[in-house]
Amino acid sequence: MDFRQSDEHLMLREAVSAIASKFGHEYYVAKARADERTEELWNAVAEPGFLGVSVPEEYGGGGGGITELALVAEELAAAGCPLLIMVVSPAICATIIAKFGTDAQKQRWLPRFATGELKMAFAITEPDAGSNSHNLSLTAAKDGDIYRLNGTKYYISGVDEAEAILVVTRSGVDPDTGRGRLSLFVVDTDTPGLEKQVLPVEITAPEKQFTLFFDNVEVEADRLVGAEGEGLRQVFFGLNPERILSASLANGISRYALEKASAYAGEREVWGTPIGRHQGISHPLAKAKIEVELARVMTDKAAWLCDFDGDSPAAGEVANMAKYAAAEATLAALDQAIQTHGGNGMSSEYGLADLWGMARLLRIAPVSREMILNFVAQHSLGLPKSY
Amino acid sequence: MNVVVCVKQIPDPAAPPSLDPGTNNLIRAGKLILDDSDAYGVEMALQLVDKAGEGEVTLVSMTPNGETSGLRTALAMGAAKAILISDDSLAGTDALGTAKVLAAAIKRAEPDLILAATESTDGYTGTTPVQIAEILGLPSVTFAKKVEIDGGSLKVERQTEAGYDEVESPLPALVTVTAGVVEPRYPSFKGIMAAKSKPVETLTIADLGIDAGQVGAIGARQEITDVSASEERASGEIVVDEGDAHQRVIQFLEQLKVL
Ligand SMILES: Cc1cc2nc3c(=O)[nH]c(=O)nc-3n(C[C@H](O)[C@H](O)[C@H](O)COP(=O)(O)OP(=O)(O)OC[C@H]3O[C@@H](n4cnc5c(N)ncnc54)[C@H](O)[C@@H]3O)c2cc1C
Ligand SMILES: Cc1cc2nc3c(=O)[nH]c(=O)nc-3n(C[C@H](O)[C@H](O)[C@H](O)COP(=O)(O)OP(=O)(O)OC[C@H]3O[C@@H](n4cnc5c(N)ncnc54)[C@H](O)[C@@H]3O)c2cc1C
Repeated sequence: MDFRQSDEHLMLREAVSAIASKFGHEYYVAKARADERTEELWNAVAEPGFLGVSVPEEYGGGGGGITELALVAEELAAAGCPLLIMVVSPAICATIIAKFGTDAQKQRWLPRFATGELKMAFAITEPDAGSNSHNLSLTAAKDGDIYRLNGTKYYISGVDEAEAILVVTRSGVDPDTGRGRLSLFVVDTDTPGLEKQVLPVEITAPEKQFTLFFDNVEVEADRLVGAEGEGLRQVFFGLNPERILSASLANGISRYALEKASAYAGEREVWGTPIGRHQGISHPLAKAKIEVELARVMTDKAAWLCDFDGDSPAAGEVANMAKYAAAEATLAALDQAIQTHGGNGMSSEYGLADLWGMARLLRIAPVSREMILNFVAQHSLGLPKSY
Repeated sequence: MNVVVCVKQIPDPAAPPSLDPGTNNLIRAGKLILDDSDAYGVEMALQLVDKAGEGEVTLVSMTPNGETSGLRTALAMGAAKAILISDDSLAGTDALGTAKVLAAAIKRAEPDLILAATESTDGYTGTTPVQIAEILGLPSVTFAKKVEIDGGSLKVERQTEAGYDEVESPLPALVTVTAGVVEPRYPSFKGIMAAKSKPVETLTIADLGIDAGQVGAIGARQEITDVSASEERASGEIVVDEGDAHQRVIQFLEQLKVL
């Protein structure tokens, strides 16, 4: 077992951090508040190939894995720029297409995932099917050479910046179980019949969320990714990267918050001594630090399993646990960082409270705390299912 | 077009370094990083080789403990290979000794051009490169803010207090570059992954045919006799604008004789 960072990973961290620090949290917040995209940051990180680290080399990518992608996302977030779109576009969509796409599909999309030129949104959640993906009701019906999509998705991130959406649909019913059979389609965001409506949320982030109405949206058969009816199994392949990347965002936010908090606690004096000397301030920060580092180790492990033992049951179990641990740790770390700053914690200037929405989101999405606890109770502990 | 870049690997300036109380030498144990000043030379070299359409960039570094972290960064940026001189008998080497060692190593690479920074971030005597040129019997141009190769000759814009001089020189030559010369690139992901497998030739002074008596503390002609804290800078004057700020700023600048 070797827990040292390799020189390559250190260099990757340093380079991403150097780029992201030139932009920083103020840039991120300004863009979010102005309803603008973080295009300059995205391009600057894309240029040296950092957004395509996990895309196979034969398609122009870095040939690395989720380990490297997670590290890029963490460094961005640690510099105050947690990019939600990284969780969907390179982590879920590119991974699924690289694994299940046809040669033509890979040629079509992967080279541009590699350069960061292509962003793809991911749509699974529906008003009546959030935590329960078996309930999906957006249908894909075969009609000659094409498929027709009808139904609704909501809370879909980054649709306005994306060229296409990887949509999870119900394309049939399993006669034995009565459950939906799922199929994945890549739908261009400008396809006729697709209506996109902004769904306002209290999160200060450059990505917007959308409700999507599919009204008889026609999709060519060559947009079906993988085998028809195999969507659930295929989606699961993208969900581990999704969980790991969410954990990385959380871990990066935690590092950002704790760095700010310890700097402030070391300087701010109220009773003639830095507030960081009071154990009421230092112990909660130390506790948060421990919990964040534990979450980071678990995230590393999850990424390693995803890259090197992706088919093992542990890959999913550990990814879920990492996501849980990182989300809980970041809420505690950010909360304590805000507390450490007193009134300044709520100011816009100190750049902490505006991250609350994002940190809080990570307890709910992409998979909620409760669903992870269900998973662990059932799969890790062998307890009966409650639902 | 083969370019050698001298790259110094230094203790991370972000983590305040400490001095050996006996010798007053900088403690260089642990990880060393690429001196930021040398990132400009590396970038310049990569651009020149790129433009020439042939040749490669070779790094030369003298470092204790066989440390290569800083070299890997420069290799990740795109340099092809590196020569590292690391030898216990180099402990305490002064700038002239360093120049002798680097010159011997550079000679092996037979470069058309040698680049170095005008001064390092940690030692900053700014004397090593010109001593290298002298030892190799090559022309040197310092403080370059622009470097071009035109046919077989070198064209440099040399920063001066008043502006810049245009200097031409035959090749091979040595040039020291300033931080303004080019914007160093970030290593790409492919560059980072490739850096590990690029050759780093590690040499001792015996390999270079250098006599141990000429280098190290024994060979040093410089000795650090005392180290003292620099004077605290007096607090600046704050000009509060009461409508006449511009006049007071001009007065102040005139007083400094910069206007
Ligand atoms: C900002 C934002 C961005 C998002 N981006 C995307 C996106 O890009 N693509 C996408 O497809 N989706 C996206 N989502 C949706 C997100 O993944 C879901 O909101 C999340 O999975 C929870 O589903 P739900 O909202 O339907 O909650 P519900 O399933 O309705 O759950 C409500 C509550 O009940 C709990 N609960 C549910 N079932 C159980 C159970 N069996 N046992 C115990 N507790 C239970 C849940 O934990 C939760 O607390 C996003 C959401 C937000 C807020
Ligand atoms: C008292 C003393 C003890 C020392 N002990 C050691 C020791 O134990 N081990 C050891 O390796 N060195 C040692 N050195 C050498 C020292 O680290 C410098 O390399 C040398 O003195 C050059 O000084 P400088 O930093 O002022 O370089 P400058 O002249 O300011 O450097 C200008 C440029 O020359 C090039 N350059 C300078 N030094 C190097 C280098 N080492 N490798 C590659 N390029 C270089 C770089 O491009 C640099 O930016 C010692 C020096 C002194 C004075």
